[in-house]
Amino acid sequence: MKTKKAVDMVVRHVFLALMALFWLIPIIWLVVTSFSAYPGIRTSHFFPEQWSFVNYQKLLFQPDTVCNFPAWFRNSMIIGFACCIISTLFVLMVSYAFSCMRFPSRKKLMSFSIILGMFPGVLSMIAIYFILKMFGISDSLVGLIVVYSAGSGLGFLICKGFFDTIPTSLRESAKLEGANEFTIFTQIVIPLSRPMIVYTVINSFLTPWMDFVMAKLMIRSKDPADWTVAVGLYNILQKTLLNNYFSVFCAGGVVVAIPISVLFVIMQKFYVEGITGGAVKG
Amino acid sequence: MKKKLVAVLMTAAMAATLAACGTEPETENTPADTNVTVAPDGETTDVVVGQGSEDAIANLIAATEGTVDLTLWCSETEAYQNVMAQLVDEFKAAYSDVDFNITIGSQSESTCKDEVLKDVEAAADVYVFADDQLNGLVEAGALQAVTTTYTYNPIEADGAGAVNAASKDGILYAYPLTATNGYFLYYDSNLLSDEDVSSWENLVAACEREGKKVAMEFSGGWYLFSFFYGAGLECNNLANDAVNVCNWNNETGLAVAKSVQDICSSDAVINLGDADTCTQVTDGNVIAAVNGTWNTGVFEAAYGDGFAATKLPTFNVNGQAVQQGSFAGYKLVGVNSYSDNLGWAMIFAEFITNEASQLKIGNATQEGPANLVAAPQIATPAIAALGAQSNFATLQRVAGNYWTPAGTLGQALYEGGLDDAGLQKALDDAVDGICAE
Repeated sequence: MKTKKAVDMVVRHVFLALMALFWLIPIIWLVVTSFSAYPGIRTSHFFPEQWSFVNYQKLLFQPDTVCNFPAWFRNSMIIGFACCIISTLFVLMVSYAFSCMRFPSRKKLMSFSIILGMFPGVLSMIAIYFILKMFGISDSLVGLIVVYSAGSGLGFLICKGFFDTIPTSLRESAKLEGANEFTIFTQIVIPLSRPMIVYTVINSFLTPWMDFVMAKLMIRSKDPADWTVAVGLYNILQKTLLNNYFSVFCAGGVVVAIPISVLFVIMQKFYVEGITGGAVKG
Repeated sequence: MKKKLVAVLMTAAMAATLAACGTEPETENTPADTNVTVAPDGETTDVVVGQGSEDAIANLIAATEGTVDLTLWCSETEAYQNVMAQLVDEFKAAYSDVDFNITIGSQSESTCKDEVLKDVEAAADVYVFADDQLNGLVEAGALQAVTTTYTYNPIEADGAGAVNAASKDGILYAYPLTATNGYFLYYDSNLLSDEDVSSWENLVAACEREGKKVAMEFSGGWYLFSFFYGAGLECNNLANDAVNVCNWNNETGLAVAKSVQDICSSDAVINLGDADTCTQVTDGNVIAAVNGTWNTGVFEAAYGDGFAATKLPTFNVNGQAVQQGSFAGYKLVGVNSYSDNLGWAMIFAEFITNEASQLKIGNATQEGPANLVAAPQIATPAIAALGAQSNFATLQRVAGNYWTPAGTLGQALYEGGLDDAGLQKALDDAVDGICAE
């Protein structure tokens, strides 16, 4: 009986380990290729023949006309952080209004914003480009920040679900003590929804950090120092550049994952709590 | 895919807004207001080299007030950016009476059209692009016709092929810059002799003898074209920009397909894409490959002192040796017809494409100049091979429907095993797809 159980266990774990390996192969390949001493594509070996840090050195400390990673990273960071702050504020405020306040047409407004959120954003891209061009900010970081964060309030659903779980009696007693909506929002609801805020922060950082399509459309500048990480790395994938920059591209792919991973590890605990917390009453 | 969609949408939106606003390009693109006549097809109407061009430039200088802002888009490679920066300095020195503010942007030639047409008004005044984008750019009104020049005549100075590539309906629309975007045969001369690389039959036999391989991307329409064009068959969109005309499914076409299938039947012949070719060449498996100048460094490093390049081999059609054809590609310098400083943009474009500049660019980038005097002075094996192949090459003028069916046909021929009826069906299917509207 005991041996049967052990065999069962081994089989299961071997199976899981294999699945994990399959899933990880592309990522492992990206990482080991980024340490290759050979600059171009070499598909005949999984592991590089010669290991080296030269790609990271080139990527981080020797920007040239093709690959100006420090500038791209800085631009993406600026956009990411700005959007993170603005979007989080928007989402929290909208959620608070829909969850805790009562006003005419509240239900109608909610349905309207959900329907609005269902339209594919791609459809409005051209319009957005021309509108921002009219304002003269189509080709700037400000423009991109506006694009990524302006509509973020529509993503209020999960957050509102979480706010709904905060007992009404808490808010009512605060009100009896003379607190206004702003005080309730900042002193009562926000401190109670730390996991939800973490979830919102991660989400609103990831969207601009990983986006390519919108950035490619908005950034008209041909000075590589004005690009974001996604646009810049994509540009390396041309047949005339690949032979000299492919390993650098892989190194870029690895470095891009670092901020996301760090953010995730730090906030992982809250993240799970946040999603499930909001899911109880959606 | 998404990007492509965006580009298409942008273009459509641009057209719509332009129509709505009734904005007219500052200068007409159509040659209606000039007195040149359209030459019979294939010949480009001669441009007028500014009579008393000294006066014309002097007038322009006198009429220029304040700073002249110009933007140039060219390849992002270090070599290009540096040599262009040097040429910009020389240009400023040559016209020191005028205050220039010239910005150099990084934009690869191969995707230039998409970027320009995204928003023509916001695009560069002067841009370098690959010649297969010429028709699209002209139709969108993004190129200023070169009917008058100030300092030299591109039609006399540059090779006929390059001038032809820069012309549409007999009118020159751009200044030829380089003539290096085509393919030819790289080989390791330590293992293969001149005789070996003269024909596919010899080449295949030699590779079998050496136990090595010869690589070509048979399943890519860009390369597969070479066999059919070599045998005198046609496939192009010259009559109608959106629709291809193709006769690959006639008797000759069947013979060509048979021949290609025979070549591919050997184990020494391998169908490899660009990245895999580089890998296998570096690993020493592939000792000959049909490829282009952008990979010269890889072949040079792998073959060492055996590094050699030559025109494409001949192949056997109905018992006769036929020279394999190819696509020839050129880099051209175009002037945006929406430029605010059209006059200076044209003079600047002339400056960076004149004989001295082309020579400097050639030396810096190892790309063959289009200029007839400068071309022989840049001598590398790859450029010499491309020059030899250019006699059998044609311009890439095919509509978008060409690529997928041609690639499928190539894949089928490489996999082999088709009898005459099967080949004919594969050809018919391919032609149907290529000629689809």
